Amino acid sequence: MRPVRALLAVAALAAAGCGTTGPLVEPGLAGLPSSVELESTPFFPQAEYQCGPAALATVLTHAGVPTDPLVLAPEVYLPGREGSLQPELVAATRARDRVPYVLPPRPESLYEQVAAGTPVLVLQKLGAGPWPGWHYAVVVGYDAGRGTVTLRSGTNRRLEESAERFLLTWDRAGRWAMVALPPGSLPANPDFARYMEAAAGLEAVGRTDAAARAYEAAAAQWPDAALPLVGLANLAYARGDLPAAEAGFRAATERAPDDVAGRNNRAQVLLELGCPAAARAEIAVAQALAADGPLASAVAASAVRIAATHGPDAPGCPAD
Amino acid sequence: MIKRSFVYVLCLAILQFGSPMAANAALIGTLEAVESTTRAQDLASVNSALARDDVRRQFVALGVDPVQVDDRIAALTDSELRTLAGRMGEMPAGGDALAVIGIVFLVLLILEAVGVIDIFKKFP
Repeated sequence: MRPVRALLAVAALAAAGCGTTGPLVEPGLAGLPSSVELESTPFFPQAEYQCGPAALATVLTHAGVPTDPLVLAPEVYLPGREGSLQPELVAATRARDRVPYVLPPRPESLYEQVAAGTPVLVLQKLGAGPWPGWHYAVVVGYDAGRGTVTLRSGTNRRLEESAERFLLTWDRAGRWAMVALPPGSLPANPDFARYMEAAAGLEAVGRTDAAARAYEAAAAQWPDAALPLVGLANLAYARGDLPAAEAGFRAATERAPDDVAGRNNRAQVLLELGCPAAARAEIAVAQALAADGPLASAVAASAVRIAATHGPDAPGCPAD
Repeated sequence: MIKRSFVYVLCLAILQFGSPMAANAALIGTLEAVESTTRAQDLASVNSALARDDVRRQFVALGVDPVQVDDRIAALTDSELRTLAGRMGEMPAGGDALAVIGIVFLVLLILEAVGVIDIFKKFP
């Protein structure tokens, strides 16, 4: 018996060592119902090693994309690892025009989404050492009174687990959780940077219609933020609509005068519209704002391009 | 034959060099703008093309069907490719919980059999 206790102690120490910081069980569930279960969430029992495709099919089907683990496996299953990697689950979600919103690493964020009716894809670490036991499951419910969470997991349609034990396995896996959202709808209690990263990811892989709807939703939700307007203007530029792009970047810099990307991109569009003087004025402001930050070399490259074009502005160019 | 397939691979590699947004290189991409607010590093200093090639090699080495490799690469953003580059062997790969439970049970059974523990005596 004693060696077992020692083993358990070592395991507990190891678990504590590899976890992320922050309290595991938040005090109370402020403003949320005390128990929720999304019973209509579909279930796809996993085949061997295929919990990634199964869990992903669950959240995608719930988000209005009827699919199947067999369809998803060729996109997300990695034979050499006998499993699936998080970025590929995110990518497969985008490929179906759904917004892959990765939640802030707090237990409360899980409950918030479930209470709002959205099942949450989570990564768990069930093992240790050479057998980490990485596992994907879907949180479909919780019961604060009983201290449990309900999962679609593996071959278990309804797995009710102690919240404490579940959160420990989630913590050891780096507290990774994702929801798949139809473009245009926001998660509960949305985080701006996380939502914009998901939306911009759609644009970056060419899902432009979904990206546009996500940017529009973000522009309405965060009326002071420039980035959603920069995104919409980038889409306008990509479809060759320079006047719309210029107006969009201008609106972005009116919302946030210190937005480097908005000013840089507006300068480039002004140049292409035949307004090199206005472009020079705008890029000078962008360069001052960029200082030596992360966008400095991109802005410097624009400035070089703009400086190479001389001559006065065409009629109809903005005066600033 | 080998030479010809090498040329094909090289052509593909060159074609794939840029991201889908490469045509817009004159503008700062939205994702780049988002990342500039959350990361401190100079984004232009990171070589995405190298990351892309590395992920391609790892996909093949990890047994992905060659006809799927290009689609899977194209579905990833530059920052995801940089995350994956060089790390696909170690990153968490959610697979099968059952295997782990089986191994734990097996270890307990062996410890029991050799007399280190006696947790199963209640279940004769």
